[in-house]
Amino acid sequence: MKLEKAQLVVQGLKEAGVDFTAGVPDAQFIEVYKMLADDPDIRYVGTANEAEAVGVGFGAWFGGKKPALILATSGLLVATYHLARINILHEVPLLVVIPYRGDIGDPRWLGLYKKTTEPGLNAMDIPYRIVSRPGDIVRTIKECNESARAWLKCIAVILNEEALW
Amino acid sequence: MVSRLTLLKELAAIIPNDVLVVSSIGNNSGFWGQLTEREANLFHATLGMCTPAAFGLALALPNRRVLALDSDGNLILNLGVLGTVANENPKNLTILVMDNRNYLGSHKDEPGMPTATAGKMNLAEVAKACGIANACTIQDAAGLRAEIHKALAGSGAHFICASIEELDNDRPPRTKRLADPRENKYQFAGYIQRTEGVEILGSGLGGG
Repeated sequence: MKLEKAQLVVQGLKEAGVDFTAGVPDAQFIEVYKMLADDPDIRYVGTANEAEAVGVGFGAWFGGKKPALILATSGLLVATYHLARINILHEVPLLVVIPYRGDIGDPRWLGLYKKTTEPGLNAMDIPYRIVSRPGDIVRTIKECNESARAWLKCIAVILNEEALW
Repeated sequence: MVSRLTLLKELAAIIPNDVLVVSSIGNNSGFWGQLTEREANLFHATLGMCTPAAFGLALALPNRRVLALDSDGNLILNLGVLGTVANENPKNLTILVMDNRNYLGSHKDEPGMPTATAGKMNLAEVAKACGIANACTIQDAAGLRAEIHKALAGSGAHFICASIEELDNDRPPRTKRLADPRENKYQFAGYIQRTEGVEILGSGLGGG
C-alpha cells in the first residue's frame, strides 16, 4: 500500500471527527495502523481479536468517543457476532473501515472474502459504500461516519484494490 | 461457598452511585438490575463483550471509575482482552468476575457444562500472567468488600475473581422489568452526557 493512500484514510478519519480506533493489524493495511498508533489525535487500541475491538469501540462510544474499527476482511468474520449484536440489538454506531481483499481483480488466493464481506455486512444490516478511487476516500469516510452517528447504525467503508494498491 | 446474590448485594451496598457498571448477560445483569436503581448501569454485555466494553468506557472516560461485572464463561470467550487491559493499564478499571465454573448453570436446577475454570484454569493467575498485577480471588462478602475498596481507591487496573456457588439457588424477587438493550442505551448514554458533558447520541436533527 502506498503511503499517500494510507494518509488519505487517516485524513478521512480525522476530518470525520473519529478520535478512537481499534483493531488487529492487517498486512495489506499496516501503514494505516502504524499511522493511527503514532497519531496524537486518534487513540488506537490494538486488540487480540476483532470481536474484542468491537466491544472496546462499543464502550468508547458510551464514553463520548467517535470510534472506528479498522478491520481486515478476515477480521470482519471474527467480529461478526459482536457487530451483529451491537448493530441490531443495541443500535450503537461504529464506523467500520475495511481494506477489501478478495474483490474481483485481486490476484491473491483470497476470493473467499468476496463471498463473505458484502453478504456478511448485508446480513448484519450494516450499510456500506465501496470506494474504488483514491480521490473518494476522504469524502466517503466522512459521509459514512456522519450517517452512522445520526442513524445510530454501524456503517462500513470498503476500500478496494483500485483505491488502495 | 458464597452465592452470586450475596456478593451482588454486598456490591450494591458499597459501590458509589457514580461508578459505571457494565454487566454481562444472564444473571449478572438480571440480579444487578433487580437489586439496584442506578443510572450508571449498562446491562446485557454479551459473551466476550463485557470486559472489552468496560475497558473501552474506561479509556474514553479516564477520570470516571468503571467496573466490569463479568462472568467466567463470558470472559473466557475473549480472554485476550486481559493482555490488552494490562498493557493499556487504565487507572480506573476494575474487573469483577463471577466464577461459577459452568455454562448455563445460572438458569437451571443443576450445573450446566463446565467452563475451563472447573478444570485447571485459574483466572486470577491468568490475569497476573497477562500483566494485571492487582489480581486476586475472593471467597466471601468480606473479601469482596475489601478488594472493591482497594480497587476503587487505587490506581491501575484491578482484577477480582469471585468464586461463587455453581447454581443460583438464591435469587432476588423479580419486582421490575429490566430495560432492553436499546432502552438501556438511551438511559445510560443520557446519564453519561449529563454527568460528563460529552455528546453521544448525535445532533438529533430531524427531517421530513
